[in-house]
Amino acid sequence: MSPFELGLWSFPIVLAMIFARVPIGLAMLVAGIVGSYLVLGSWNPMLAQLKAVTVTTFSTYSLSIIPLFLLMGEFATLGGLSSALFRSSEKILGHYRGGVAMAAIGACAAFGAICGSSLATAATMGRVALPELRTHGYSSALATGALAAGGTLGILIPPSVVLVIYAILTEQNIAKLFVSAFVPGILAAIGYMIAISIYVRLNPNSAGRREKAPLAERLRAMSDIWPVLLIFGLVVGGIYAGWFTPTEGAAVGAAGTGILAFANGGMTREKLLQAFLATALTTAMIFFIIFGAQIYNSFLALSQFPRVIAAVIAGQGLNPWVVLVAVLLMYLVLGCLMDSLSMILLTIPIIYPIMTGFDYGLAPEEFSIWFGILVLIVVEVGLITPPVGLNLFVINSMSKDTPLSATYRGVIPFVTADVIRTAILVAFPVITLFLVRLLSG
Amino acid sequence: MIGRIAWVLALAGGVVLVFITVVTDASIIGRALIALGLRPIQGDFEIVETGTAFAIFSFMPWCQFNRGHASVDIFTSRLPPVVLRVFDLVVDAAFAVVITVLVWRMGVGLADKYANHQTTFILQVPVWWTYAGGMVGAVAWVTVSYYCLVESVVCVIKGVDHRVSLRSEI
Repeated sequence: MSPFELGLWSFPIVLAMIFARVPIGLAMLVAGIVGSYLVLGSWNPMLAQLKAVTVTTFSTYSLSIIPLFLLMGEFATLGGLSSALFRSSEKILGHYRGGVAMAAIGACAAFGAICGSSLATAATMGRVALPELRTHGYSSALATGALAAGGTLGILIPPSVVLVIYAILTEQNIAKLFVSAFVPGILAAIGYMIAISIYVRLNPNSAGRREKAPLAERLRAMSDIWPVLLIFGLVVGGIYAGWFTPTEGAAVGAAGTGILAFANGGMTREKLLQAFLATALTTAMIFFIIFGAQIYNSFLALSQFPRVIAAVIAGQGLNPWVVLVAVLLMYLVLGCLMDSLSMILLTIPIIYPIMTGFDYGLAPEEFSIWFGILVLIVVEVGLITPPVGLNLFVINSMSKDTPLSATYRGVIPFVTADVIRTAILVAFPVITLFLVRLLSG
Repeated sequence: MIGRIAWVLALAGGVVLVFITVVTDASIIGRALIALGLRPIQGDFEIVETGTAFAIFSFMPWCQFNRGHASVDIFTSRLPPVVLRVFDLVVDAAFAVVITVLVWRMGVGLADKYANHQTTFILQVPVWWTYAGGMVGAVAWVTVSYYCLVESVVCVIKGVDHRVSLRSEI
């Protein structure tokens, strides 16, 4: 078999291993090691490479942002910030029709600004908001659907670990990606609120009413949110303005969130230990996948497969927009099955060179940003698409009396909102790009 | 016992992460206040890199012990438990082999760095320190992978499931 064929066949083999429940990092690592041996006909180059590559990967400065962001997210999760955000958001929005569900979306968005994980956002906000939603007479379908969808804001609104990985794989500026993800993230939150508003008008029995909080109380509620906004602004703004590197920004965020959690009184010794252990588990999991992807990608580069296939596809004269839609649909399907980080590490080294061969009327850097945000959004839609979205399972398991079919029904308005928003962002790249264009003057 | 070692290492890694945070923040403050006579911490990037390597290697045994590596179980969830236990055994065997190779090569790398007296650029600290720091977690990682393999063998023979996973939500 030629190196090209080895590269070509390795991909379905890795996917088959993954679907047979082999851990994703292990599947890529084994395929990379064996593949390199088959291409080179000797174990020695790989054995020489392995002398340093574990240590250099785990001590890469640009990757050290990941454990720091994860620690920040754990501080936010365990420090009781979620309930403070929800209470404030409920006082501001709760009296509207469907307002408590909208408040849950708003709180998810705010929480997403200090936490980079979808499942964590869905799980934390679910614990706080589900009982409240049920007390105020919201149907279980709407309550679970809204929270599953709200969770996806965790990864969309920066900081986002997946965007960091995308930036490193495609050699893009992390700060510009963060800034560009912000507007689509806010649009997502608004879209979800509109979906709730329409849903409760069509199904008047699905939501109870709640009296308006006094003005003074609503103002005080707004002031409770400012520390979170301050941390978010400092981290993303500071990275963008060049005050500090992305890793330093993450350190600022971790310290800020940690102090806030202590000030809130949520950070007991027990909770601190939990935060460390959870950070350890997720960090190790992510870095093992990164390591596996690195070995697999060095094999792919050796096989020349990504370069050749990109040239072949570019020479077919295909319509760029058809290709883009096909790629996004592929990500939607994969997103139902696999977590977004693994999928990006597995596919971007092959898909990205193909996509950069097409002309979408954008400068190369702008295309990379736009494509990255689109992929991120589509992957997240996969998290809430029945029958297999992970967020749906997380939220449903927290609401014991809710059948899974009700959650499936409840999430449909939100998936619809996602599809409409994605179509708009595909048709108008400027929506994603205007903020970064504005800021870089 | 093995779980306790992994637990202690995970916490040690967490403490090092907090240390990295403090060093980095102190360095930023020093850089911002140069006008007041403060200065950034020398070689802060190198401290971050060495510390991160120690932390991540220390996290590995905990993740391995809790079977916390990400996998896709949608297609296999309907399979009978007997088959799944055999799957787990195969995966744990592969893990044990792969991790042994990784740590063996890392040990050779450590010996190389020790012999050639290479130092870091700014702090002039020997590079093998980073390798040695990572080696603590790495040795525990290999040990845990054998422990998990033995556990899987026992599960297949006795026909029982693994101890309840401590895996938290990600």
